[in-house]
Amino acid sequence: MISMRHLRWGFCQIAVGALLTCLLLAPLTKAAPTDFSQEEIDFFESKIRPALIKHCYVCHSSRADEIQGELRLDSQAGWQAGGVSGTVIVPGRPEKSLFIAAIRHTAGVANMPPKQKLPAAVVEDFEAWVRLGAPDPRTASTAHPNNDLGEDVASTHWAFQPPQVTPVPSMPGQTWSTTDLDRYVLSRLEGKGVQPAEIADRATLMRRLYFDLVGLPPTFEAIQDFVGNDAPDAYLQLVNTLLESPQFGERWARHWMDVARFADTRGYVFTAERKYTDAFKYRDWLIQAFNADLPYDRFLKLQMAADRLVEATDAEQLAAMGFLTLGRRFLNNMHDIIDDRIDVVTRGTMALTVSCSRCHDHKYDPIPTADYYALYGVFASSHEPNNAPAPLRLVDAQVVNVGVFVRGNPGNRGAAVPRRFLSLLAGPKATPFRDGSGRLEMAEAIVNPQNPLTARVLVNRVWGHLFGAGLVTTPSDFGVRSDAPAQPEALDYLALQFVQEGWSVKQLIRRIVLSSVYRQRSDEGSPAQQIDPENRFFWRMNRRRKDFEAMRDGILAVAGNLDKTIGGPSVNIVGKDYAPRRTLYGFIDRQNLPGIFRTFDFAGPDTHAPKRHETTVPQQALFLLNSPFAMQQAEVLGNRVKTPDDMTTIDNLYRAVLGRSPDAAERQLAGAFLDKARARDARPSIPQSPWKFGYGGLNEEENGIREFAELPYWNGEAWQGGEKIPDPKLGWLNLRAAGGHPGAGPTRAAIRRWTAYCEGEIVIQGALVHSEKRGDGVRGRIVSSRHGVLGDWSVHDRRQVTAVTRLRVEVGDTIDFVVDSRASTDYDSHLWKVDISGHFHGVRRTWNSQKGFHGPLPPQLQPVVRLAQVLLLSNEFQFVD
Amino acid sequence: MSQLTLNTQWAGTSSRREWLCRSGAGFGSMALQTMLGDEVVAEATQPLAPKQPHFVPQAKHVIHIFLNGGPSHVDTFDPKPELTKYGGRPLPMANLRTERPTGVGLASPFKFKRYGESGLEVSELFSKTAKFADEMCIIRSMHADVPNHEPSLLLMNCGEARLVRPSVGAWMTYGLGTENQNLPAFIAMCPGGYPIQESQNWQAGFLPGVYQGTHVDTQHTEIEKLIENIRNQRVTTAQQGDQLELLRELNRRHQEQRPTDAKLEARIQSFELAFRMQREAAEAFDVSREPQYTLDLYGAGTQARQILIARRLVERGVRYIQVWHGAGQPWDSHDDLEKNHRRLAGQCDQAIAALLSDLKQRGLLDETLVMWGGEFGRTPTVELPKKGANQGRINGRDHNNHGFTVWLAGGGVQGGLAYGATDDFGFRAEENRVHVHDLHATLLHLMGFDHERFTYRYAGRDFRLTDVHGRVVRDLIA
Repeated sequence: MISMRHLRWGFCQIAVGALLTCLLLAPLTKAAPTDFSQEEIDFFESKIRPALIKHCYVCHSSRADEIQGELRLDSQAGWQAGGVSGTVIVPGRPEKSLFIAAIRHTAGVANMPPKQKLPAAVVEDFEAWVRLGAPDPRTASTAHPNNDLGEDVASTHWAFQPPQVTPVPSMPGQTWSTTDLDRYVLSRLEGKGVQPAEIADRATLMRRLYFDLVGLPPTFEAIQDFVGNDAPDAYLQLVNTLLESPQFGERWARHWMDVARFADTRGYVFTAERKYTDAFKYRDWLIQAFNADLPYDRFLKLQMAADRLVEATDAEQLAAMGFLTLGRRFLNNMHDIIDDRIDVVTRGTMALTVSCSRCHDHKYDPIPTADYYALYGVFASSHEPNNAPAPLRLVDAQVVNVGVFVRGNPGNRGAAVPRRFLSLLAGPKATPFRDGSGRLEMAEAIVNPQNPLTARVLVNRVWGHLFGAGLVTTPSDFGVRSDAPAQPEALDYLALQFVQEGWSVKQLIRRIVLSSVYRQRSDEGSPAQQIDPENRFFWRMNRRRKDFEAMRDGILAVAGNLDKTIGGPSVNIVGKDYAPRRTLYGFIDRQNLPGIFRTFDFAGPDTHAPKRHETTVPQQALFLLNSPFAMQQAEVLGNRVKTPDDMTTIDNLYRAVLGRSPDAAERQLAGAFLDKARARDARPSIPQSPWKFGYGGLNEEENGIREFAELPYWNGEAWQGGEKIPDPKLGWLNLRAAGGHPGAGPTRAAIRRWTAYCEGEIVIQGALVHSEKRGDGVRGRIVSSRHGVLGDWSVHDRRQVTAVTRLRVEVGDTIDFVVDSRASTDYDSHLWKVDISGHFHGVRRTWNSQKGFHGPLPPQLQPVVRLAQVLLLSNEFQFVD
Repeated sequence: MSQLTLNTQWAGTSSRREWLCRSGAGFGSMALQTMLGDEVVAEATQPLAPKQPHFVPQAKHVIHIFLNGGPSHVDTFDPKPELTKYGGRPLPMANLRTERPTGVGLASPFKFKRYGESGLEVSELFSKTAKFADEMCIIRSMHADVPNHEPSLLLMNCGEARLVRPSVGAWMTYGLGTENQNLPAFIAMCPGGYPIQESQNWQAGFLPGVYQGTHVDTQHTEIEKLIENIRNQRVTTAQQGDQLELLRELNRRHQEQRPTDAKLEARIQSFELAFRMQREAAEAFDVSREPQYTLDLYGAGTQARQILIARRLVERGVRYIQVWHGAGQPWDSHDDLEKNHRRLAGQCDQAIAALLSDLKQRGLLDETLVMWGGEFGRTPTVELPKKGANQGRINGRDHNNHGFTVWLAGGGVQGGLAYGATDDFGFRAEENRVHVHDLHATLLHLMGFDHERFTYRYAGRDFRLTDVHGRVVRDLIA
């Protein structure tokens, strides 16, 4: 363990329980003594500080509109970091200091101040000051780095102070609260004059718990059992059952995958291998870790430094390091890869936006650029071994300390920064990491119970998943620009309990879901709505729309179609050939994330995702209305619950989808829908396609088609008589997109039929082509059901235009394109592409025979299936109260 | 949570009402209006509802014709008589460093001519487009950072060469919403698949996914292949209408117990929108509905079709449209430049001219910003043979980020203007240099945004399209 030399928390490593007491009692010791003599300080204060303020601050301090040359002279850290020209003051060496050269107006350097040279006495003072070693108390008197605005937020901002224990408020005479957590929350609510909502009914709680803990809807039977369970601990039993179910790990692994910007691909690569074929091993490790309730400190340490904590052969545990290694590859730009790793670690675990300090000191938080490069060195001292049996791991490599990249430019480096932890947390004189790359030391510093952020950040994430909003609204930014938690006592209480109870995530979740705060109703209607319309204080539960995973998994589950297999390589879940697996097993291509993921606000897999956006757009509705997935699930569901009796079917559907029985009005509505649907299906309507593909013969006397039968077999490209061709009955007869082949005899002509579904006027264009010297060619005719034969052409080894002008059609009229053999039935393959175009009620439309060609059409959805789909679309199914 | 730093109010009460009427949602909208504050509804129901930018915009729509691969400026819109003199000879300047070694000057094989009252010089490759010289604002002093496709594409499209950032179209739709809720707000058409760097070119980055460009492969013409889930082969429109009627009734009953939740109402409305979108999208992409003279105006082929679609989309209120020339990097003429550029320009010149003429005639050019360009230009010097990199024909040009041309038309830009200049040979932008960030700042300005105030809070920072760069080039604005 590294020792956290944080002065305000100046005490040594002790057992967790005692430590927490200590946290409460330890006085906040103030400030280290300065390293300079009083004389030196006096010199600075009397001569140097006034001169800097008078002559330099206008361009080189926080009061400058734009800091010139990236150089700041309003703090010691500022000039120590240097500017675009690099180091400007070398303590003790005026002749080596660019600053002195500049104020001397030396040729060849930028002269400062640019317009007028400083009085000679002032220049001499500066020279003397640098010779003294540039004593500058402006930061030396502060234990913590200031932010870029010069404020000492390290000792004032709530998130950087240790969690506080507040005595549990006594709440005499009220029965709402059942846990200490409730009393903290209620105390705040009372202070606001807000009444909490009533406890929700059992069926609501059941749906809520299933959604939150396992991400799947409960069955009707399970709800009935729970609602009828008289045991005093029925709710606790349910909570425990869900926490122990294997689906718990799936649900919560997916939450962490958002934090870890998980994907199955590297991002853009030109020609190299794009897939991370082993990414799923990290996902499976997460599922296992949550199911086993791996303590969160161990959980984090393994993800950052499993190579130092488990055997080199323990591939299963080493997969934890996918947290670091599964990011985007930025065309293998190492700086960007490391930046991504710093970001996922610091925002993911501590809600600190350290990446902001890549090019300059953090503008708001006390995170100097040097801290960024201290961590940069940790990752630059680690590498991914090739051909390892554990493909996702990092191991320590040649140790390097990296110089600050001035303005983020790797070509312009300052002095090397030793690898160490963040000065905000470890103090300004943090001990450099000594153990290899320092990754393990970094991980230990993150999970050190003295770290004021790590436990709070996790508690806030868990709260956010359980309530739909965090106590802190920016789950990955606890910096000074974040809003303070609306319920700070609750956050600190949970964070302290969490650490005390061995970082158990399951126990944390149990503690929250057993509370009255969690079990509240979600109604907005109370007077509290006026005081706290956004529900920042949690006077009710938030109603939540199912996220992408819960939505898709829920549909599969209620349809009875969900494949509950746990773990394994990622599978395709989009398009026609989707696997009916839980959504977290879907293959995630971060480069070209399929539209469905984006449409449903999936976490962008490029960078760490603090929380999901929530948008409502018609593309979501289109997916649920028209996608093969939605229709197939409705079909499975409808067919599964269907009975000869409509009312029984409707009851079954409601129970399957919504977990309840319909009331009388709902039965009546659904019954009316089925009656109307059947009546509609009995009437003629617009066909799915105007084209049919068949055969038959021409009745010369009646000037029309004598018979028409659709071809019975589809081989993937063509309609024909049977699987094998020639077919015993229909011979070589076939139709394909661009043409076909007739059969033998007068009733075996190949017929491509178009049917008009509204009245209008059409023209037909096209060409019949036979390209074979042998045989005697074919005969093509266009026959209208209303007007008889419209054209008659014979072709042999040539192309013939087949045009028909201005023809009136009525609904149901057919136009047949009939090809038969002439004397010889050999070599009769032909091409015949036609366009039928015309105006229908003022709208111009064209049907092209080649584009309109198709195989068997999917069957129409039956009335019960359509009803099932409506229930799957309903707000009741898609929202959780 | 969106940290909108601009006015999220509706464009005005009348347009809000109008929208509610147009959306014709029956009970849903009516009940909504009475129960909720207007802004709450706007936020929750319509991430793409029309929004007001910082100041009155000159342009409302953008059509970005992207000649991916890098069209040669010295062969199209930046005539260089000095280069002609140095054809086959070393330039009297050092060749700038580009992706691959280049050699002697390569004179343009194409003839330039003056067009319009402004007398702008354009090569024969774009002789039809050039008829609209007086509408065009040709920026001849563009420059980017590196001579490689991937970073330059990202820079041009997202304002950042490597890291994950929202694309220009995503920023625009985030800031402005869109005028037609029945169509995607940002459409990227690219026939045959993806360009290099793929869908990152129209990414939403850290903005909500709804602002990502919708990729449409215009190689296809069937609507179901153009837009996902837009058509249902297994229920008829009437059958689906019955389903939605029942859904509306069930949702209304559900909503009675939860009357003030804007999210429920939002979802109810989304189905009404989706129902109409199926029809409207199919119509918008179906160019066969155009009269023959319009089809003739644009000409034949995929480029003509997709450029005509772009006009149909603008007409319907789509905010941002990219028209990519094709999958991969078609304009990347490392060899056989003359042949390839002639072929490629031949595919789109007539259609681009038709677009400008058509927009003008319909009164849409004033409010539509048309932008033409690639991710960079090409060297005035000939690319030298390099195994594996080219075919060694010594008749093509390398990538050139030091200087290139982008032109704008319509949307409040100064027509008939050639702005800035490259050196005598077209190697480097010398006069009035315009960086890609400056182009973005100017685009945002034309759309009504101060690029320094148009920000999104993410990961502790207020991000801008132009990051810490960019200046509005006022001379380009009419």
